[in-house]
Amino acid sequence: MNLERIMQIDRRIVYLFVAAGTILPIVFVIGLPVSITPPVQMAFDRMEDLDPGDVIMVSFDYGPSSAPENAPMADAALRHCFSKGIRVIVIALYPLGGLSEAVNELNKVVAEFPDLEYGVDYVNLGYKDGAQAAMRKMNENIHEVFPTDVRGTPISEIPLMREVRTYADLELCFSLATGIIGEWWANLVNAQFGLPVIVGPTAVSAPKYYAYLEAKQMAGLLGGLKGASEYERLVLDKYPDLERVYATPGLYTATKGMDVQSIVHLIMIAFILFGNVVYFTGKRRPRKAA
Amino acid sequence: MRKQVPLLLTFCAGMIPIVALFVPERHVSTVSTTLDSWLIIVAGFALLLGVVNVVQMNTNKIRRKTSGWPYAVVLLAGLAIMGTFGFAGAFGGFGGIATRLDGTSTPFDWLYQNAFLPLQGTMFALLAFFMASASYRAFRARNVEATILLIAALIVMFGRIPFGEMVTKWFPLTTEWIMAKPNMAAQRGIMIGAGLGAASMALRVIVGIERSYLGLGKGE
Repeated sequence: MNLERIMQIDRRIVYLFVAAGTILPIVFVIGLPVSITPPVQMAFDRMEDLDPGDVIMVSFDYGPSSAPENAPMADAALRHCFSKGIRVIVIALYPLGGLSEAVNELNKVVAEFPDLEYGVDYVNLGYKDGAQAAMRKMNENIHEVFPTDVRGTPISEIPLMREVRTYADLELCFSLATGIIGEWWANLVNAQFGLPVIVGPTAVSAPKYYAYLEAKQMAGLLGGLKGASEYERLVLDKYPDLERVYATPGLYTATKGMDVQSIVHLIMIAFILFGNVVYFTGKRRPRKAA
Repeated sequence: MRKQVPLLLTFCAGMIPIVALFVPERHVSTVSTTLDSWLIIVAGFALLLGVVNVVQMNTNKIRRKTSGWPYAVVLLAGLAIMGTFGFAGAFGGFGGIATRLDGTSTPFDWLYQNAFLPLQGTMFALLAFFMASASYRAFRARNVEATILLIAALIVMFGRIPFGEMVTKWFPLTTEWIMAKPNMAAQRGIMIGAGLGAASMALRVIVGIERSYLGLGKGE
């Protein structure tokens, strides 16, 4: 067999395998098992330690490009909060669609809990530019950073916000992050102001968060879609009532997404191994005399 | 004056947050948080500067008919349309920029859902295809370092999916160890290096050694 030809395989064949590995698990849901890793367990336990009525901040620091990874985290975190009676202040610090993602996910999850009251159980304060500056300023006064909510209601007229003025009034911040904003929550807000922080970053940026996690600057970490699927599993195990939500036909969940990711990972592993086998076979074969 | 005033402003803007961090005095922290409020406004204007830059670059491209100029037209049209609805929405026009209270989409939200979201999603999704192709061609155990990287990558990739655990429970455990120990140590090294670099650069700017941001010519 001509090894050179195998090495120079048409990239469209690789694309075809990846496309098949992506589409088939969406059509035929496999439902692969989910095992729990310590960083996600830490995040879940930290949330479970909160009492009903406690207030946390959920910061939407991602846009549509990473929504398939971050949105299931946001949904699972919000469902966890609302199932437990934790009150939620939603903000968005990411300029490219953070606000729209916050509105989408909040609307979706709130519709699953008809008893929730806007302004009492949850509030959406909208988007603020200048992430680091806004984060620093919120330690002094959240009301000055967000004078109105996303609907234009003055913040002083929102019952939930009358109880919350600074980070000291919050129990925790849950950042769903792409890029560097999640890091700022750990190395600025936690390090300087002491607010416990859980970050749900994309898988590609998850490795750097381990440094903050090991330094106890973060209370938990949901790394990419895998982290989201683990959190979903933990929330479902603790709150079986949510099965009605997760069983909704057509609902995108991290567990379903992990089917796709697992198959594509396998395909990539197979290609990498195959490429190396071909490479070493070619190296060992004696070269023909010129 | 063109030099001294910006240098003085930079010195004050740089020193105030540093002093406020170490001096827990109310007057100092008040000045610092006021500066933070200004910074939020300045960041808003920086965004505007970006828009102006995009418009200038792309109008020049269209005027000169350089290669790919039709894409510049599409970009500017997208900017104008989204910008118009976003700007109007921010002032209460068209029902705002999010969904309306009755759940219907505002024009900005409709464009976001039906144009921006699928386009961004597509761009990001394409990475999977390029990565698969690139890893097949380039991820080779050519030397010791590349072999270590390859083995670590394969273990992490396999340990991150349920199939890894089906083979042996050591895959997820080893994956977590790689992430929490060697990876974390390397990340710390990078972060400390970057932090020291950023701190020294900040000091150079604050004390006026680094002046390239002033945009002055030689000898000024």
